[in-house]
Amino acid sequence: MAVIEVKGLSKTFKVKLKDKGFKGSLKAMVKPKYKTVNAVRDISFTVDKGEIIAFIGPNGAGKSTTIKMMTSILFPDKGSIKILDFDPKKDRKKLSYEIGTVFGQKEQLWTHLTPYDNFKFFGAIYDIPEKAVEKKIDELKMLFELDEFINTPVRNLSLGQRIRCEIVASLIHNPKILFLDEPTIGLDPVVKENIRSLIKRMNKEYKTTIFLTSHDVGDIEKLCKRVIIINNGQIVLDDSMDNLKYHYLNKKIVEAKMKERVNLDDEDGITILKDKGYNLKIEVDTTKRSVADAIKLLNPDNIIDINISNIPLEDIISSIYQNKDQL
Amino acid sequence: MKKYWFIIKTEIMSNLQYRFDVIFGFVSYFILLFILFNLWRYLYSDTSGLINGYSMSQMMWYVVMTEILWMTLGGRKFNTKICNDVKTGNITYNINKPYSYIGYSLSMHLGDILVKGVLYVLIGMLIGFIFLGHFPSLSIIEIIVVIIASLLATIISIFIIMALGLISFFIEDATPFYWVYSKLILILGTIFPIEYFPTVLQKVLNFSPIYVVSYGPAKLFVDFSWDKAITIIGAQLIYLVITYGICKLIYQKGVKRISVNGG
Repeated sequence: MAVIEVKGLSKTFKVKLKDKGFKGSLKAMVKPKYKTVNAVRDISFTVDKGEIIAFIGPNGAGKSTTIKMMTSILFPDKGSIKILDFDPKKDRKKLSYEIGTVFGQKEQLWTHLTPYDNFKFFGAIYDIPEKAVEKKIDELKMLFELDEFINTPVRNLSLGQRIRCEIVASLIHNPKILFLDEPTIGLDPVVKENIRSLIKRMNKEYKTTIFLTSHDVGDIEKLCKRVIIINNGQIVLDDSMDNLKYHYLNKKIVEAKMKERVNLDDEDGITILKDKGYNLKIEVDTTKRSVADAIKLLNPDNIIDINISNIPLEDIISSIYQNKDQL
Repeated sequence: MKKYWFIIKTEIMSNLQYRFDVIFGFVSYFILLFILFNLWRYLYSDTSGLINGYSMSQMMWYVVMTEILWMTLGGRKFNTKICNDVKTGNITYNINKPYSYIGYSLSMHLGDILVKGVLYVLIGMLIGFIFLGHFPSLSIIEIIVVIIASLLATIISIFIIMALGLISFFIEDATPFYWVYSKLILILGTIFPIEYFPTVLQKVLNFSPIYVVSYGPAKLFVDFSWDKAITIIGAQLIYLVITYGICKLIYQKGVKRISVNGG
């Protein structure tokens, strides 16, 4: 069952232009010039209940604008959005009871208060009876392991602890969909991993649909089964994580240390990435050429050391950012 | 309404630990009163005489009251907060929460200043009593009316300052509007009652915000009458509706402009 339906969504912004220098400033005051920026262009997608979906793209791709339209912060110019059968444009207040948002770069907790007082505050904001709030806090305290610091003022918490509390605060009103905007930004690898497993656990426990944006490939790889990539305001890829990987797993990276110099040129199915005489790095397209073939070209007797690996997901994604035609 | 009360309560809790600014406020409050008291002593060479209908002790209590209102208000801090909320885009994070930004900001600021207000009242009364040896003669019910008028005055002031801050939606820097407003209140609203000004100006001031945010409660405090109480509270209620309406209008127009500023 689709809980998010986006159809033909577009949004343009008018950006003021200014010539350089003082003269330019004066001119802009008298006769301002504007440029139209197409932030989001005709995008459509649906998200099913309980899905964890990654919505990614380079800076300025239109991610934030799309999320803001979905959470009723911005109004779309064209197209329609349905979130749990609500139109964010018209049913802003009703929708706010059904969704939660966490912005990794934005604190929504009161820093002078303890997490516990903060959660009570959010409970009141969402009109939840006091007893129900306390029950929910207890439940989330266990799930997110907050026991140690639930009574410490937020300003004294570490970043990882704070993010955990931010997520809990956004879950107090039992949202059906959670929008997570870069939840692991600035965290160390151990804490990142911990947050990811907590998000996964929450998704399993409450069947919360999670709409995640992140620049961290680890987040996407470990959490999401489906990924939507947006660039220049358009969707360039909407596919399952498995398909995305499978497509690129056809390519292998072979790094070899040689006894003697090898003169190798680009051939069908083989691309030379680095050639330093005795050290070679080549990409093999296994749909055209087998890895064994490539090794034969190098001459196995000549090889001192060899390493065969998949293309890192990070590289896959950045190549999609740079050129969607490569797909 | 319950949620807004919770916001007030939470803000009080959040602020109880940080009260250094209040102590500094007390010092400047004390210095200001001291200077003005001496000024009135000088002007009222005959302490039993009246100037523009006010006795010396009424003038002193008038200043105690207007200064309590002004110092409690913390207008500059609030104005800066609203301007920053708009400029940094923080305001957008309030849009998808189930409360109104205006109600939320009002409750936050009331929570911020409530404890401070009580302390200023205590200190103001103490200073006035030490200098003058008596309190204005008011019955309990009259005191309650003065408190209501003071609360209304504070809420109207908060709406006015909020509206001035929300202008940030449309121009780069809206702080000068508050600067002008605060100076007008200081000159025309805190030191002298409206009766001290030329007749033409009095007519203007009687319809200006100064009448409801500063003069009104202080006048009732030093020279209470039920006629005046009804006029003043009536005017305050009208102002309350108007200033809230203006905030709402600016906010609604402004929020649509957020889309211009982008994601």
